[in-house]
Amino acid sequence: MQASETSHDADPQSLLTFGIAGECFAIPVALIHEVIDPLPVTPVPNAAEHAPGLINVRGIVTPVLDIRRKLRMPQRSQQSDGGRLIVLELPVEEVVTRVALAADTVIGVVDADGLTLDAVPELGARWPKAYVRGVAQLDDRLVVLLNTETLFSPDENATLTS
Amino acid sequence: MTGLPSPTETFIEEAQEQIEGLEGQLLDLEKVASPETIDAVFRALHTIKGSGSMFGFVELAAFTHHFEDAFDRVRDGLVVIGPDLINLSLRARDHMQALLAEGLNGGAKALSESPEARHLLEELARLVEREGTTAPRPAANQGAATQDAGRARRWHIHFKPNPVSLRNGMRPDLLLAELEELGRLVTLDIDASDLPPLDALDPLTSYLGWNVVLDTSETRSAIDAVFIFADSADLTITEQPPPHETPLARQGPSATEPGPKVDVPAKSTRQPASSDETIRVASGRLDAIVDQLGELVIAQARLESLSKTIGNGELDTLAEEMGRLVASLRDATLGIRMLPIETVFGKFRRVVRDLSADLGKDVLLVTDGGETEIDKNVIDRLTEPLVHLIRNSVDHGIEPTDQRLAAGKSRHGTVSLVAQRESGEVAIVISDDGGGLNLEAIRRKAIARGLLQEDADVPDAQLGNLIFAPGFSTSETVSKVSGRGVGMDAVKTAIEALRGKVEVVSNRGEGTRITLKLPVSMSIIDGLLVRIGSDIYVLPLSAIEECVDIATLDCSHDSGRTMARIHDHLVPWLDLAEVFHGHGSGESDRRMVIVRADGLRLGVIVDEIIGQHQTVIKPFSPYHRTVEGLSGATILPDGAVALIIDVASLVRGGLASSRKAAA
Repeated sequence: MQASETSHDADPQSLLTFGIAGECFAIPVALIHEVIDPLPVTPVPNAAEHAPGLINVRGIVTPVLDIRRKLRMPQRSQQSDGGRLIVLELPVEEVVTRVALAADTVIGVVDADGLTLDAVPELGARWPKAYVRGVAQLDDRLVVLLNTETLFSPDENATLTS
Repeated sequence: MTGLPSPTETFIEEAQEQIEGLEGQLLDLEKVASPETIDAVFRALHTIKGSGSMFGFVELAAFTHHFEDAFDRVRDGLVVIGPDLINLSLRARDHMQALLAEGLNGGAKALSESPEARHLLEELARLVEREGTTAPRPAANQGAATQDAGRARRWHIHFKPNPVSLRNGMRPDLLLAELEELGRLVTLDIDASDLPPLDALDPLTSYLGWNVVLDTSETRSAIDAVFIFADSADLTITEQPPPHETPLARQGPSATEPGPKVDVPAKSTRQPASSDETIRVASGRLDAIVDQLGELVIAQARLESLSKTIGNGELDTLAEEMGRLVASLRDATLGIRMLPIETVFGKFRRVVRDLSADLGKDVLLVTDGGETEIDKNVIDRLTEPLVHLIRNSVDHGIEPTDQRLAAGKSRHGTVSLVAQRESGEVAIVISDDGGGLNLEAIRRKAIARGLLQEDADVPDAQLGNLIFAPGFSTSETVSKVSGRGVGMDAVKTAIEALRGKVEVVSNRGEGTRITLKLPVSMSIIDGLLVRIGSDIYVLPLSAIEECVDIATLDCSHDSGRTMARIHDHLVPWLDLAEVFHGHGSGESDRRMVIVRADGLRLGVIVDEIIGQHQTVIKPFSPYHRTVEGLSGATILPDGAVALIIDVASLVRGGLASSRKAAA
């Protein structure tokens, strides 16, 4: 039932790290379906800001999720090209759904075993707490482990209101 | 979640179908007591009983056993078929349905001890006891096999289950026990000639056969019935000469006697000859095929557009050929999901029968076009709205008998349900010859609710459609049946969710006619591709009336006017660039597409009309499901994603915002 069934043979302890706005975020590799180059996005008018459009990933209409909005980060300038799309499969309202997450860069895979997770201290970040599991030190940088359940919930009001 | 359903699931599904079918069969019996229908009822009961006990539905099996007993009397012509019997049978059927639903949990036991169950059992038992004392059997029911019921006869039965039947849950012991119930087992021999040596024995395979000599006063068909679902068994049933002359059990299936006996292989008694061979497939698998087919249609469209760009003759031929193949594959595949709509008609007959009895009205349901096929998904979601409409017709439409007579109408009211295919759509018309809608009351109510301006001049045809507005009801009293003021808008929402349309026409005193128009399939639509800015959208063709060149229209809208005169009618319009992009398009030479929804004509302005396109609908994910004005997405031949416009929700959104502006 879980997305892990369809993903590549991945150690559930592995994390994929990626960069957005210079920050290094991490989500479990088990959720990742593939990483692809950007595709033309069809904007969905009047849609929620965190799900601005749709792309065609090998014949499957896939919503593109913009987590910058949810994490209260400035918008990426329209012109800047490049970036990567991380295609995830996760249960959304109990149905396994494919979504694409827009990232600036994909950094790599790390083993979660060696990481110690710290809670984000008060005033430590603008990010809503519900979306972040914690922060870990990896070599010389901070890695932010995201809470995929709350972050990718389609109903924004269910988790928090900004 | 994996491929094959468990045998228990299969049983439940089959039993459900059979119980549903029973309803129609019983209602048929009420009209014409044909022996075929009686047999069909008996067969269904017998199957449910047998397989029910096999799968642990003890209460269901026990109850059905009594029901079956009673029907045995009916079959033998010992019980007259009349309203009482049908009433009882329908209630017994409902009880079976409840027992099945409670299934394997404790509820079935409690249910089987309920007063209703006891009452039903008593009534059924009364039928059985009356045996031989009541009316003569109907002539139609005289089969050769039943003629000499009552006299003990001796039968030789050779029974050898199909080797694989144990894996399907066959229980020879139960069958033999059942046989014993019919009378006296004179001899019972095991035929173990096929039993292999121990090391070659497969415990899942059935090797044994039985030779039975049975004395019974039951009919031949009662014996056949025991083996009714012993599929493809090697079975011979032969009547023996009177007991004293008979040599005992013989070997093998070839043991037939000369004379008046007939060999009947089990298969021939099991199913009526008319039934086609079918297989049962999980609907999820079918959905997967339809999904894949959708991809194929898209890929084919891409191939076609590519071959046009390349302009190679050979490639063109191939693309064309592919197009034909894909189209016929699509039709065939969608055809698999199609069911004749009469599969739900039985339910409606029951609704009308019970409800008219409740209300003391005399109402006849006439159905036509039951063979019209429609996607199973559509049928499933259509049943409830249809039941609601039919209940409304019987409750509010058809007048009480005295009123009818006073109005010079026939005593019994008629509700008719007609389905018919109209090009890409299925039209279902529910009409009654009742009092019709009270349009004056509707007008008053609409004004009171602010749905209508006091001085508005609305044609009668549109007044009727106001009953679909949320919370609208003109029924003075709240009856248990309907008229709580909910319902009609729920019907409309349900039909629109199926991308269908509802319309009502009513003449005071003559009746009401509600027409539902539904797409044949949920997954593929014909659409019109339009461009708004740089984005492509799809308008469902079924909603479109015509396209108009905007240059010919007087359409300046700086003044705030958003209507134009088209063919002598004033038509309001929406600029889709503003609706979807929040600003005007700035392009000249635009087009207006006239669409119809909710009985309203509305012009939608687009930048360009690209052309017609058959589209596979991809429903939105939860992220976009609530977006207004759009119903889903599709993939264009060039691989881009296009959004499908939901005209009805566009109209609703437009109305809502104009009302807000007016307030």
